[in-house]
Amino acid sequence: MANQSVSDDEDPRRQLARSRNLARRVRRAQRATWFPLLVFAVLTFAAVLVTRTGHPTAVHCRPVPQAGPGARVCLAHNSATFVYWPIALVLAYVAIAAFYVRRSRARGVGTRVGPYVIAGIAIAVALTAVSIWADHHGPLVGHYDVLGWHLVGDDVYRLIGPACAIGLALLVLAVVERSLALFAITVGYLWIAVAPINFGWTVNGPSHWVFLPYLTIQGSVLLAAALGFAAAQRPIRHATA
Amino acid sequence: MSGHPINGLDDLVHQRVRLGILTIAHEARRVEFSYLRTNLEVTAGNLSQHLTVLENAGLVSIEKGYEGKRARTWVSLTKDGHTALRDEVAHLKRLISQVDRNDKRHPP
Repeated sequence: MANQSVSDDEDPRRQLARSRNLARRVRRAQRATWFPLLVFAVLTFAAVLVTRTGHPTAVHCRPVPQAGPGARVCLAHNSATFVYWPIALVLAYVAIAAFYVRRSRARGVGTRVGPYVIAGIAIAVALTAVSIWADHHGPLVGHYDVLGWHLVGDDVYRLIGPACAIGLALLVLAVVERSLALFAITVGYLWIAVAPINFGWTVNGPSHWVFLPYLTIQGSVLLAAALGFAAAQRPIRHATA
Repeated sequence: MSGHPINGLDDLVHQRVRLGILTIAHEARRVEFSYLRTNLEVTAGNLSQHLTVLENAGLVSIEKGYEGKRARTWVSLTKDGHTALRDEVAHLKRLISQVDRNDKRHPP
């Protein structure tokens, strides 16, 4: 090799660098991270209205002797949100798939959104099934050990809730789009959704707005992330449009 | 000398534009003719020639159709295309590491 001269075009380092650059450009053209984030932000804010207008009923009440004589814990069943989330999530994934396919045709590069949409629908269906099971087996009170995590009843409800379904599917999108930024944001979102973190903003019962801080914070995180990705991907959209 | 990585390079794949086509098609799964032309900075005629070479070698499949009134040509990698690209990249990496080793042994 020492005696062979190579043109710039045949220099292996340049060829590999050029290939990596082309692959990066394709990935950038394929990414539309802002759209699913925006869709789920809208769904989360819409859930505020759905939850508020739904009429929760107390079901499966159980006595809790350790909390005092006559104390009971009930499951607040809100039929409106129970119907809203599964339908909204499935329609959201259909819309996201349609958006990515349309964009793929416009830009001339294929899309890798398939695994994300399939995972998203599968997770939404699975967690809905678990929610239905939990709904029919009374309020989950007490302590549970799941994969080494010590959970109380409320934690379990949050783990099988829509925010967790959205977050888990977003992790799949982060892998599909090879986006470290989306992965980090999603981990933060899941932390906020499951922990749950309300930044000190609480609405005490028996107000009908008890849920408001959590949904507002979760929706705001998704919206902020959507705007951030839209801004970050805008110059590339223009450059490749 | 037969074990030298340069002997593993396939001229069909090693050519700059054709390696670019394979790389983009691999990453995109399916790529449109105009995207290739823009990103590889070649003329339509030149790109067509390279695509024909790759198609005849069984490394890409070409699908022509219409979207509305607009003719579209989509290119995707075949199984052989994926293998050829993977082998080429492996050979390039081996070649680079061999050159690096030689440079360390015989500094300029």
